[in-house]
Amino acid sequence: MKRFFDNYDADASRFFDELVAREGGPRPHYEKLLRRFAMFSQEDVKTRREMTNIFFRSQGITFTVYGLEEGIERIFPFDLIPRVIPAAEWALIERGLAQRIAALNLFLYDIYHTQNILRDKVIPAELILGSQHFRREFVGVTPPQGIYIHVAGSDIIRDGEGRYLVLEDNLRTPSGVSYMLQNRQAMKRAFPVLFSQYKVRPVEDYPQELLRTLQEVSPPLQREPNVVVLTPGIYNSAYFEHSFLARQMGVELTEGRDLVVNDNVVYKRTTRGLERVDVIYRRVDDAYLDPLCFRPDSKLGVAGLINAYRKGNVTLANAIGTGIADDKVIYSFVPKMIKYYLGEDPVLENVPTWLPGTPSDMKYILEHLDELVVKSANESGGYGMLIGPESTAQEQEQFRELIVANPRNYIAQPTISLSRHPSLLNDSEMYGCHIDLRPYVLTGKKTTIVPGGLTRVALKRGSLVVNSSQGGGSKDTWVVDE
Amino acid sequence: MLSRVAESLFWMSRYVERAENTARFLDVNFNLLLDLNRITTVETPDCWIALILVTSDREKFDSLYGQYGAETVTDYLVFNRNNPNSIISCIGLARENARSVIESISSEMWEQINNLYHYLQTVTPQSVQNDPFSFYREIKNASHLFQGITDSTFPRNEGWDFVQIAKYLERADNAARLIDVKYHMLETSHAGHGDVVSGSVDILQWMAVLKSCSALEAFRKVYFARIKPQSILEFLILDRTFPRSINFSVCAAKDALWRLSGGSAGRSFNSADRLIGKMEAELSYTTMDDIASKGLHSYLAGLEQGIMDVGEQTHLTYFAYHTPEIEPVEEGLRTTFSGNGGKRAEWSQAQQQQQQAYCR
Repeated sequence: MKRFFDNYDADASRFFDELVAREGGPRPHYEKLLRRFAMFSQEDVKTRREMTNIFFRSQGITFTVYGLEEGIERIFPFDLIPRVIPAAEWALIERGLAQRIAALNLFLYDIYHTQNILRDKVIPAELILGSQHFRREFVGVTPPQGIYIHVAGSDIIRDGEGRYLVLEDNLRTPSGVSYMLQNRQAMKRAFPVLFSQYKVRPVEDYPQELLRTLQEVSPPLQREPNVVVLTPGIYNSAYFEHSFLARQMGVELTEGRDLVVNDNVVYKRTTRGLERVDVIYRRVDDAYLDPLCFRPDSKLGVAGLINAYRKGNVTLANAIGTGIADDKVIYSFVPKMIKYYLGEDPVLENVPTWLPGTPSDMKYILEHLDELVVKSANESGGYGMLIGPESTAQEQEQFRELIVANPRNYIAQPTISLSRHPSLLNDSEMYGCHIDLRPYVLTGKKTTIVPGGLTRVALKRGSLVVNSSQGGGSKDTWVVDE
Repeated sequence: MLSRVAESLFWMSRYVERAENTARFLDVNFNLLLDLNRITTVETPDCWIALILVTSDREKFDSLYGQYGAETVTDYLVFNRNNPNSIISCIGLARENARSVIESISSEMWEQINNLYHYLQTVTPQSVQNDPFSFYREIKNASHLFQGITDSTFPRNEGWDFVQIAKYLERADNAARLIDVKYHMLETSHAGHGDVVSGSVDILQWMAVLKSCSALEAFRKVYFARIKPQSILEFLILDRTFPRSINFSVCAAKDALWRLSGGSAGRSFNSADRLIGKMEAELSYTTMDDIASKGLHSYLAGLEQGIMDVGEQTHLTYFAYHTPEIEPVEEGLRTTFSGNGGKRAEWSQAQQQQQQAYCR
């Protein structure tokens, strides 16, 4: 009988493989998994695949691909082989993320107050003040307890040596956490024996932790704070997640039109009249929050919300203006921020980044377009980027013009061959696909990181793009105690 | 409960019931025409006109189609997306409403409505023409399944009451319209012939009315074999035990509305309570003679108006987005409620784009 991992080609000389060490042989934390899979026939795996498919379909776990006409709801592809992270490695990630988010919170407080970091010229002032995500209207406004980033989702990759590096920070409305929770459900059903052989740390308490975090940052009250989730609506690609989290937390899922502001207090419209709202976990971008303050054509927002926020009558999570900190140009300064605010060395390094705004960097970038990855500073989802080694001369030329015309809007990074992890393609073939990791960091009175996260996997041979909009999928992530 | 959620539950339920009723009308009409051998005779399109009259859509229909016949009427009532009351529109709207409150309904309810929606996307006019009975049975069963699933999976909270109010108001409204139209047709076809309800054709017609309410068997158990129009009318309007009669439906809607507000006989908290209580009392103490002396048509028209008023008051009491104490409503911008159209605002393209604008 052919076993699943018999023909697995880790290609460990070229890539960092999560399963197979460069010296040969499987890494110890994968041994149980290999033993278990060795007992499976093709048929066994197929049955389990069907179990998970039914689970995802019946849960309605779908996402929306923009740009397609009908049948826009798709099941998020799920890979059956779990990723295993040993406790020691996780401890490093946890420490690194807590440190990073702490520094980013201090940074946001600083630039919306005294701007010491600009005065001390650690970051060029024009990068901040000239950014479209810097909300100058909010200078001097202090959110409860000075916290800006209540929910963060930083993307972590491993380079050719297996070092964990931060690729980008998502500090506005990071999505994907519902997949982390559902993937775990699916794996427990499909592989109960394997699951019980590992001591997998649970992730199921994420919704409770999120609710606790949101309650902790409410304006000072004499009663239980009233929390709601604010969604753009059913056409948003993450609508499923918004409704899932609301249901899991047991709070109301609202749209802009469900809320109304009177005398700087936010209320929701209910069948029994108006009820006061204290904390809004908003999954709506700043620009659409309040037509009186930002985009006047917004149909998704609540008129007067921003004034209520300024008065301190309602907490918005995340706070307004966090976009400045996940701008990819500002990203490159995070290690300096950590040093500046905390006096520490970063636990997790950044991916080396060149900024076209710096003349020497610009020269280097233009000379090495065929090797680098160029990203637009404010796009996400794998849109608006150039992957040098895979691009045509024409595409490179196009980016050359874009970069020269608008250097502030781009960054360049070396093309990192992300670590690879065996994944099941077509239920029969084990192939090394590139992966990343998005853990979720909650910050209230304390910082909580649920052990695990969303491991995204590029389910196309050789592809480096893990975004769901570009053919990516996900797998369950097991943080295990040895 | 959020007003928007309550309103979406209300319309989800109402649209499913409306689709079922339309399927019933069409189904029975096909059956009837087979009996009368008129199915291909375009020159006598009376039977088809009736279906358009039931939905009060004559003008719209005339602007879209040249003539009344099996094909055009079926197209209009089943497939036409410009007709907000067509089966395909109703189920689309029911699904849209369900989708926007997916966290408030059971996943089984969502799956059922979603399946029905996807099934309808695969149906072609040709297949309905080839086998109308299977198609209409499918729609009826799907609606029954949805209502049954709701019954056994939906918590008995406020949301449940809104689902019930919507279902029974819609059902009562449809029954009133159906009787009204059939009566009107029989009356005109017999103009100058004295006795309104004698010949065998008429009996067939009245049996068809009963069948479209699934009431034939229940009727027979009460009135035995004699199909007399007076008894049929009494059964469909005043019977308190048959779940598709007007009296039963109004009574069920009243129960739900009173449960919602804590109202009771002689103690109403809002206009919806009061109006529905009044209707229910009237139906309970009315006889066929009372109806005859008032004239059937004007009696039914009164009922239809009453149902519409209850719907409007429910809207104002529980859903109205305008909170007058906060937002004075400009005259002319006021959202008016209409028994047929009052669906939730459609998402404009701009709104859709904005909803899609940002996500990472």
